[in-house]
Amino acid sequence: MSKLKIASYWAAACGGCDVAILDIHEKIIDVANIADIVFWPVATDFKEKDVEGYPDGYIDVTLFHGAIRNSENEHYARLLRRKSKILVAFGSCATMGGVPGLANFKNRDGILARVYLESPSTQNKEQVLPQTRVEVPEGELELPYFYEEVKTLADVVDVDYFMPGCPPAPHQIWAVLQVLASGNLPPKGAVVGASDKALCDECQRVKTEKKVKKFYRPHEIIPDPQKCLLEQGIVCMGPVTRGGCSAQCTGANMPCRGCYGPLDGVVDQGAKYISALASIVDANTSEEAEQIIGQIVDPAGTFYRFGLPGSLLRRARNV
Amino acid sequence: MRRITIDPITRLEGHGKINIFLDEMGAVRNVYFQIPELRGFEKFVEGRPAEEVPQIVSRICGV
Repeated sequence: MSKLKIASYWAAACGGCDVAILDIHEKIIDVANIADIVFWPVATDFKEKDVEGYPDGYIDVTLFHGAIRNSENEHYARLLRRKSKILVAFGSCATMGGVPGLANFKNRDGILARVYLESPSTQNKEQVLPQTRVEVPEGELELPYFYEEVKTLADVVDVDYFMPGCPPAPHQIWAVLQVLASGNLPPKGAVVGASDKALCDECQRVKTEKKVKKFYRPHEIIPDPQKCLLEQGIVCMGPVTRGGCSAQCTGANMPCRGCYGPLDGVVDQGAKYISALASIVDANTSEEAEQIIGQIVDPAGTFYRFGLPGSLLRRARNV
Repeated sequence: MRRITIDPITRLEGHGKINIFLDEMGAVRNVYFQIPELRGFEKFVEGRPAEEVPQIVSRICGV
């Protein structure tokens, strides 16, 4: 059997997905036995023109991390789609926008002004903002266009598989690579490398009854290390988040923030969480319910921490 | 004037490209290093609770 050709690319990303691939540790040697890397900016020196020179469909599998934030991200999404037989949206950013998707609570002008004009560490007396084209004495330079909003990979190209996680768990990455190498492929559009049950299913904490009278911020409570965080009044996205991560965060006394995204059949993870909260808030009157819910600081930024661009909301309006 | 473009620059975290301009003799006239990347953490952490910010900004760089 000829070796697989694989690529890994980051768009609006942090590189954590690439490090997660390396976190399969010595199995990376097994990957080298079954696959040749043909593009991977963090680790290899292939350039854009190398990829453009490949025939269409040349790459067997591309793991695409990162959200679509600017025109260069979209260019690479289209280029790698054309060059790849299988395109995997890899990680929370590619699947649903991820942390960079929090920018959809803001707008383009506000972001550019804050970063290039207003931030305390910036000196920019000429008020220069990035331009897509600029003339320099030696010629012309180009920069990508910064979009008004963050998009998911599937917003701009056809995606074969979705692998959630911020980052995806290394044991899941290894399992998915083996499946892709076997040729025994899951149905197109499948979520791979994750559970089809909620995070709570693999969370080891003891769950009894969810009745919440008060929501706490970290400085207001020392959580019981054995009990369900949500039952203790700590906002945890576990009930509405796909498992598969081995519940590492809740195992470390940190509440889930939803990076594995919604479960099958759920279109909006944040809305699902609002629905879940409605059933656990222990209130006798609507005023009391409002008072309890009001203790949750920044519900939108918490319930849509990783998935605003891929949600029904997509973005805040009139910001 | 001849131009050598290195795009993307590799084996580091982040996005970058370099344009090198050479004169007729092949000597470097000028070099431009560009970062075509912006996500805007400075802006979108505004309004987030302080205790959530460490988890958010840890996604600036995961390498």
